[in-house]
Amino acid sequence: MPLDEYDKIAHLLRRAGFTAHPDELDAAAARGLQATVEELLNFERFPDVPPDPEVLAALDLPQSDFDRNRGDFLNKLTRWWLHVMATTPRPLQEKMVLFWHGLFATSVAGLEFWQQIYLQNENFRGNFDPDTGQLLRPAPGNPFPVGNFRRMLEYLSKDPAMLYWLDNQFNVKKNSEVGSNENYARELHELFSMGVEDVVAKVPNYTERDIRQASRALTGWRVLPRAAGFTFPRVFSFDATRHDFGPYEHLGKRGGNNADFIFDNIVRHRNPGQKQSAVGRFLGYRLFKFFGYEDPEPEIINALADVFDGANGEEPFNIRNMLRTIFTPGNLVSEAFYSERAFRAHVKSPTEYVVSLVRLLTFDRATGRPDGLSPSPNVRRLVQNGMLQMGQQLFMPPDVSGWREGLAWISTTSILARFNFANDILALQVTQGGIDLTRLLVQAGLQDALSQQRYGEVVDFFARLLWQSPPSADAREALIAYLQAPIPNASSSTVGDLKIRGLIHLMLAAPDFHLS
Amino acid sequence: MNKTTRREFIKRSGMTVLSVGLSQQAFWRHVRAASESVLTRAAALSPTDRILVVIQMDGGNDGLNTVIPLSGSAASLYRQYRPTLAIPEANILPLGEDAAGTLIGFHPNLLPLQRLYEQGHVAVVQSVGYPNPNRSHFASQDIWHTADPEGRKRTGWLGDYLDVAFPSSDNPLLAVSLAGTRLPLTLRAEHVLVPAIGSVVANYQFRTQPPSDHQNKMRAFLALNRETASEHRLREQIQLVALDAVESVEMLQSGIQRYTSDPTIVYNTQNRLAQALQQVAQILAARLGTRILYVSLGGFDTHQSQATPHERLLAYLSEAIATFYADLVRLGLDDRVLLMTWSEFGRKVVENGNQGTDHGTVSPQFLIGTRVKGGIVGEHPSLRAEDLNPGLGDPKFSVRSIDFRSIYATILEKWFLVDSREILGGAFELLDVLQV
Repeated sequence: MPLDEYDKIAHLLRRAGFTAHPDELDAAAARGLQATVEELLNFERFPDVPPDPEVLAALDLPQSDFDRNRGDFLNKLTRWWLHVMATTPRPLQEKMVLFWHGLFATSVAGLEFWQQIYLQNENFRGNFDPDTGQLLRPAPGNPFPVGNFRRMLEYLSKDPAMLYWLDNQFNVKKNSEVGSNENYARELHELFSMGVEDVVAKVPNYTERDIRQASRALTGWRVLPRAAGFTFPRVFSFDATRHDFGPYEHLGKRGGNNADFIFDNIVRHRNPGQKQSAVGRFLGYRLFKFFGYEDPEPEIINALADVFDGANGEEPFNIRNMLRTIFTPGNLVSEAFYSERAFRAHVKSPTEYVVSLVRLLTFDRATGRPDGLSPSPNVRRLVQNGMLQMGQQLFMPPDVSGWREGLAWISTTSILARFNFANDILALQVTQGGIDLTRLLVQAGLQDALSQQRYGEVVDFFARLLWQSPPSADAREALIAYLQAPIPNASSSTVGDLKIRGLIHLMLAAPDFHLS
Repeated sequence: MNKTTRREFIKRSGMTVLSVGLSQQAFWRHVRAASESVLTRAAALSPTDRILVVIQMDGGNDGLNTVIPLSGSAASLYRQYRPTLAIPEANILPLGEDAAGTLIGFHPNLLPLQRLYEQGHVAVVQSVGYPNPNRSHFASQDIWHTADPEGRKRTGWLGDYLDVAFPSSDNPLLAVSLAGTRLPLTLRAEHVLVPAIGSVVANYQFRTQPPSDHQNKMRAFLALNRETASEHRLREQIQLVALDAVESVEMLQSGIQRYTSDPTIVYNTQNRLAQALQQVAQILAARLGTRILYVSLGGFDTHQSQATPHERLLAYLSEAIATFYADLVRLGLDDRVLLMTWSEFGRKVVENGNQGTDHGTVSPQFLIGTRVKGGIVGEHPSLRAEDLNPGLGDPKFSVRSIDFRSIYATILEKWFLVDSREILGGAFELLDVLQV
């Protein structure tokens, strides 16, 4: 059965953002699908969530002071980013920052200066200028997160965290075959642009020699160990004395004197006989997998690659154009995006699980916005621990190839972790940073239904809120039975509150909430 | 909650139609649910009920101060290279001569392990490593986890074993990790799900607030995960895993209740490895069909002031193993259990300027158990300059070294009775360390 417009909008807001409250869905439905897509794509017209003052203040600490509390810094940074995702009027921006974080996977575990991971996060948001080391909102010229991919490669390669993480900091001129360190050059090809083999043609995209030659071009790309006004290394520096000026032989081309030659070759590279570029296909595949469904068909990948290549006259390498193709109804790709196959076919990552939970349960109907994620230490600790148990710690991907997504998020351990996290967060009172359940129930007009034990209504309400669809007959029956089952030794004054929390807990632990 | 199995629940709920595209494991579960007991646990392809306990020494154990040369050039070079760290000769516990005629001995804190050695239950495998050593923790650990020298495989050597040996198993606790919340790569498999229990089995529970509402809640949770709203592949997979989780928690929690400790066998509460191994004993005593258990002891990355932390770790290691072994004997399980240690690398032969040692290459590993053919395997690494990696000060991997995959191959072929070649990507020389 094809999706109706309301379903499509709910689906769009779940995928291009982090889910939406029924009020937001109703407003979007009133605007229409097309208008909603436009608003999502052209997010600059809405304000960005400001940075966290404590995170910013930590950037100015002397290194020894910072290091002593760097665990706390990471914790606060994680809380802030989750809060941004939950409250931003630019959901697609944050979804793309998350996408790039998973693709250009960098972990603090490999960094001497953990502050750099925040700069990378802002780099992906378009708010960091690596050439000056400054945070600017926005940083003019920074193409992240939906701009020109060719230029993104440059901003990625100048990113201080990346330069340390993959050792390009130590890559200096060696000989005409290779630079002294090929680590970054390798991952640049293998993980960050085109992948080992062409996603559609299944032929190798490059050779070992291409990587070695590329490493020559990246020599001398480093971070200044010290720069005036900064307490840790954060300014990109091109060191000509360490640089190998080529010419290089890379992806079948000879020439160039710097890494721009490499980036230019990469984004234009096509395997023999192939119409679309290798990078176009790689990004098409990864974007559709992230937003649509796993294993997209070759036609979809190629259609997105065409957009990347500018095959129809658009500006090439433009990520926003590719997203526009996915979300705007009326083409092959968006038809797949809005198909039944894509509907509820995405397993939420731990990040999406936490953010969607926070969005929906802290939504204030009076302001039309979620309160977001409380900065209270209780909540921070719970979330940090919960996400660790669920298998995803932001800023600490297990390795440079990022996280395995889809069903890889689901294991007996992670199911237990999600169940327990939901339990723990709902057990918090509002004074401890927990959900304002009273406000939620008042705004939902459910007090009467509760006091009169019209439990079907209560279940229906929460299903609409949390699952965005009516409950199945079996689920409804099981949940009503749960609400009716007495809690031994619970006082009559608290049992109502306990039961509602329990109901929400169950619905957050159900398969319907793990899927978006 | 009633002690019924997930299988019964699936049957009762009437799950019948098989969706196309379910994972292999889910498919087999459906088949079993539909057709009584044609495929039972006994249909596992591994024809043994043997158990492996893996002890990871996390951080790179200083092998040279663990198994110490007492004779020859190695002994004098050892004292020369380690002015502050060399263990006084009088304190070393002698083991015997290795194949090259070097007399070797244990660090004094390995006394409990030496006793087991004297009973013939410990194989000391010397100079274990691999060619082209990688001295990065995370890279070298990956190599040991996956048996892949490129370190790029996504599944572990024991995960692969589980997939091969148990393609249609019903048991959610075939293998268990007690080494934190992230499943070690060693146990990652394509199909078999291995729970990472964390370090305290008793915490592996569904938490409900308040606890008195637990039954009500679990009843509803099961109902939500049993019903088939549609043939939606992902949804069904999530439900199966959720039911698996309920079953494994139930199995574990009720299983460990059955363990009664022996008052003469005391696991030191200060020793986190002992605590972990006690939980392993509890799980094994529950006879839940668990075949592989994984524990880890951290802190071996001793770059500075090594003496005290390292000797404490060795004390923990040997005491925990000895206590655990005694408990296995008491439980009548020692015949079926093999223990192995591993560490991502040894450390440099020369101590650094901070009374510590930096990342190195080969080091000794241990195999312990009733079925181990006790003795010294391999040769102590030569400490002569020409046998060390130039400018690096750690032993070269040579023909006298032992590839860690030989240990794996021996365990796979002789202990678990499976073909090791596909799992390890090649054939490796088997070691004569088991009497099976």
